[in-house]
Amino acid sequence: MERYDLIVIGAGPAGLSAAIEAAKNGARAAVFDENERPGGQLFKQIHKFFGSKEHKAKIRGFKIGNDLLKEAGEWGVKVVLNATVIGLYPEKEITVRIGEKILHYKGDSVLIATGASENMVTFEGWTKPGVIGAGAAQTMMNLHHIKPGNKVLMLGSGNVGLVVSYQLMQAGCKVVAVVDAAPRIGGYGVHAAKLARCGVPFYLSHTIVRAAGTEAVEGVTIAQVDESFRFVPETEKTFEVDTVCVAVGLSPMSQLLKQAGCRMKDTPGGLIPDCDEYGATSVPGIFAAGDVAGIEEASSAMIEGRISGAMIAGYLGYLEEKAAHTRVEELEKALESLRKGMFAPENRGKFMKKTEEGIDTSVSLLEHGFLADNEVEKYPGVIRKAGTHPVIECTQNIPCNPCQDACPKGCISIGSNITSLPVVDGTAECIGCGMCVASCSGQAIFLVEEKCEDGYGTVTLPYEFLPLPAAGQKGIALGRDGTRICEAEVVKVRSAQAFDHTSLLTMKVPSDMVMKARFFKAV
Amino acid sequence: MVDVQEKLKAIGPYREEPDDDMLICRCEEVTKGEIRQAVHAGMFTMEEIRRYLRTGMGLCQGQTCGKLVKGIVARELKVSPLDIEPATSRVPMRPTEMKILARDGGACDE
Amino acid sequence: MSKMTADVIIIGGGVNGCAAAYYLAKKGVCDVIVLEADKSIGHGGSSRNGGGVRQSGRDMRELPYAMYAVNNMWPTLSEELGVDVEYYQRGNLRLGKTEKHLKKLEGLASGSRALGLDMKVVDAQTVKEICPYLSDEVIGASWCPTDGHANPMLTTLAYYKRATELGVRFITDAKVEKLEKQRGRLRRVIMKNGEIFEAETVIVAAGYESRYLSRTVGVDIPLYTYFEEALVTEMQPHMFDIMLGTADGDFYGHQSRHGSFVFGSDSGLEGDIDMPLDELKTSSLTASAGCRAIIGYIPLLADAKVVRTWGGWIDMCHDGVPVISKVEEVPGMILACGFTGHGFGTAPAVGLMLAQMALEEETSVDISALRYDRFKPVR
Repeated sequence: MERYDLIVIGAGPAGLSAAIEAAKNGARAAVFDENERPGGQLFKQIHKFFGSKEHKAKIRGFKIGNDLLKEAGEWGVKVVLNATVIGLYPEKEITVRIGEKILHYKGDSVLIATGASENMVTFEGWTKPGVIGAGAAQTMMNLHHIKPGNKVLMLGSGNVGLVVSYQLMQAGCKVVAVVDAAPRIGGYGVHAAKLARCGVPFYLSHTIVRAAGTEAVEGVTIAQVDESFRFVPETEKTFEVDTVCVAVGLSPMSQLLKQAGCRMKDTPGGLIPDCDEYGATSVPGIFAAGDVAGIEEASSAMIEGRISGAMIAGYLGYLEEKAAHTRVEELEKALESLRKGMFAPENRGKFMKKTEEGIDTSVSLLEHGFLADNEVEKYPGVIRKAGTHPVIECTQNIPCNPCQDACPKGCISIGSNITSLPVVDGTAECIGCGMCVASCSGQAIFLVEEKCEDGYGTVTLPYEFLPLPAAGQKGIALGRDGTRICEAEVVKVRSAQAFDHTSLLTMKVPSDMVMKARFFKAV
Repeated sequence: MVDVQEKLKAIGPYREEPDDDMLICRCEEVTKGEIRQAVHAGMFTMEEIRRYLRTGMGLCQGQTCGKLVKGIVARELKVSPLDIEPATSRVPMRPTEMKILARDGGACDE
Repeated sequence: MSKMTADVIIIGGGVNGCAAAYYLAKKGVCDVIVLEADKSIGHGGSSRNGGGVRQSGRDMRELPYAMYAVNNMWPTLSEELGVDVEYYQRGNLRLGKTEKHLKKLEGLASGSRALGLDMKVVDAQTVKEICPYLSDEVIGASWCPTDGHANPMLTTLAYYKRATELGVRFITDAKVEKLEKQRGRLRRVIMKNGEIFEAETVIVAAGYESRYLSRTVGVDIPLYTYFEEALVTEMQPHMFDIMLGTADGDFYGHQSRHGSFVFGSDSGLEGDIDMPLDELKTSSLTASAGCRAIIGYIPLLADAKVVRTWGGWIDMCHDGVPVISKVEEVPGMILACGFTGHGFGTAPAVGLMLAQMALEEETSVDISALRYDRFKPVR
């Protein structure tokens, strides 16, 4: 039987990273994935990632996927696609369906990185065609280029719900509302703000009562819920939609681990293997990394994969124990920094009343998806001064810092603590290059010039929709809450390779609107 | 040890609920009410529920409904879903045609 | 635990134990405790078998009560228990592809006929008439029209449910450490956690583990274990209701009520499996071997998808038939074990007779040939 030093099941961010790390140290590694394309969820992620440089911040997910594949190739990792692992047996033997055959392979070590599947919720009509998972919608759009529907209601305000809602809009769908039974938005505020300023309403403490329609979904009714998640009478609202997207969390696809006899533990986040900090399960030589070992983001999955890969290289004797630990320590630092801030695992679901800087958290952002106009200036990224300058509406402590490196003039600083809020230095000179605007994965940076001509100023904002407006085009400026606040005219639209598909749209609005106008809508 | 009679007494009789006809397992068309009634008939484990009602025994093998069924059973038993052992997972991980499985040279085949 | 004593304690919540509990309760003896070691009722072979309700091919020591169950119990079981156990009595074809097969089948059929069972060997054309979906390679089969199949998971749970309704106390996750005699009579069941149950009569119906338990009171039954696997397909359009087997013994199975096909099969390597009894891991080779055998007989199923495979331990008895017996030297002890992989179809009769034995009644069928002390040297 063909045997590898390391068999990896799942060519997603964790699996590929582990295989690369092990192969770098000399291990013969093969990665099996049931999909036509490798990369797992990465190839569905068309948005820019958060983090720091070492976390591939501001790079779009699919690009990270391509880079990983290239690296895997360079280190001689064998990536076998359309290869469904159907069983994991004693002696670390796998059976794989490849084409019309079943093949058997063995590994001296096996890393399971099978990822997660979407959770479902039940409501009247949940089985009707048109009710789909958010991940499924993302697959349809970003992998198969199919529009999931025309009018969509999103259930779930976690990062998946928020990111997919935005992508639905980019694909040309109308998102009628984002609904969540929780009292506060679960995902990053900046993701919510991107939707809110385009006019998407948020309904927190609301959930779906029913999806109606004869053959398929034609409408959806939501209602408010109380603290015990019971419907509050007479709060029903009905939307005409053809699609209901459900983004209510993920469950690890840990079946293979259970099958292999690894000790498992049941957690609120799903059934996961009982692993040590390096991903080693209770069965010697079987490891787990990425979402299958506990749901997190792709960024942490990649580091987890590297850690497991280094440990596996050590386990197989390709790396001295000491060297393996040194490498792991280095990686753990990177992982730790990703797990910091308001959205750190230990803060999940908690209401953080103040930022690390001691500033009050914006309740409006948490409950409605946008910063109230009168609270923006509390944050250190927002200053007012003459001439062009960045306005950074970044108000939550998340591990992300590309903006401070983006500014060639040193206007922006975050410091050594990666979760600190960016601070704009009013004394530094902004040249209006817009690199900071394009670098912000949360699209929370704007360039503002209060007075460019008599009574008018400009706002430069990140723009990721098609068709791209042209200079001279007249339209409406929308506020942070998506309401129309004034007339606006596009002054210029900049696209550059360095902006990585984010265009910078500069619009002219009355001077008293520059701190309020945050989106341009053509009419 | 679980004394079935004592547990049945503790959870009280089955009472109809308005959403009992909601479909939970789509593959095998099992409703919430059927699951709830099965618990009151003494089916306390996922294994027993599966065998009694066929929940999670269809094409998706419980990928969609597993968590939902667990939640319903837990509520009926008045325990946390974490106290209920998840169902076993079995080969094959994906439904596989007999003719494909048959084309398996075993260990000696490359 | 509210009460640690009962008239009868049954060790083993499998189909025989559950059936015995039900028939005791039906006879008015409701003070019965069933101790199941696993968290789930029917965790062992009772839920892992192919569901055959078969008389054909049985040993002459077993056939009388297998026929008793088919004639007197299975047809009304669903009604009696209030759960549809999906019993079909549409016959059993045992298929042959070679002359050697047919010779073997003729031997089986003539033996069964001698005991009064309607069983004969039929030619290829008759086989096609009974089941048009079979391969042209089938040249004949044995045919027993009164055989059938039922849903083993439902049958076990139906007995459990009904017995519970009648007041039987089932205790799951209840692991027995040993049995203990008191004043010359089997009286105590000592649990692994130290708790002690007491009863006038103890029925041991715990599969292979019956051997360990019997030994604690000085009785050893020559049992050994054997691991067998089964698979189930996704739902298929309705094809047939008969039970299938082969002269070669390479698979057996049927189409179930909801459309899935359930087949048992082996790879031929099972005799050497080295795995602890509490593990139920399938092998990487068996399902494939089974599929090759199955589509060799039912080509239409080539595209049917297998959704699940599983395995289970069989309590094999030295001479191929079970022990169903009072143990007079340990008064109060009744043994039911060693069903050798074909205990499901007879469970109603066995359950009834265990109840009869516990109540000192005469059993419906003479089963003295299945005594616990029948094992004699052959040389």
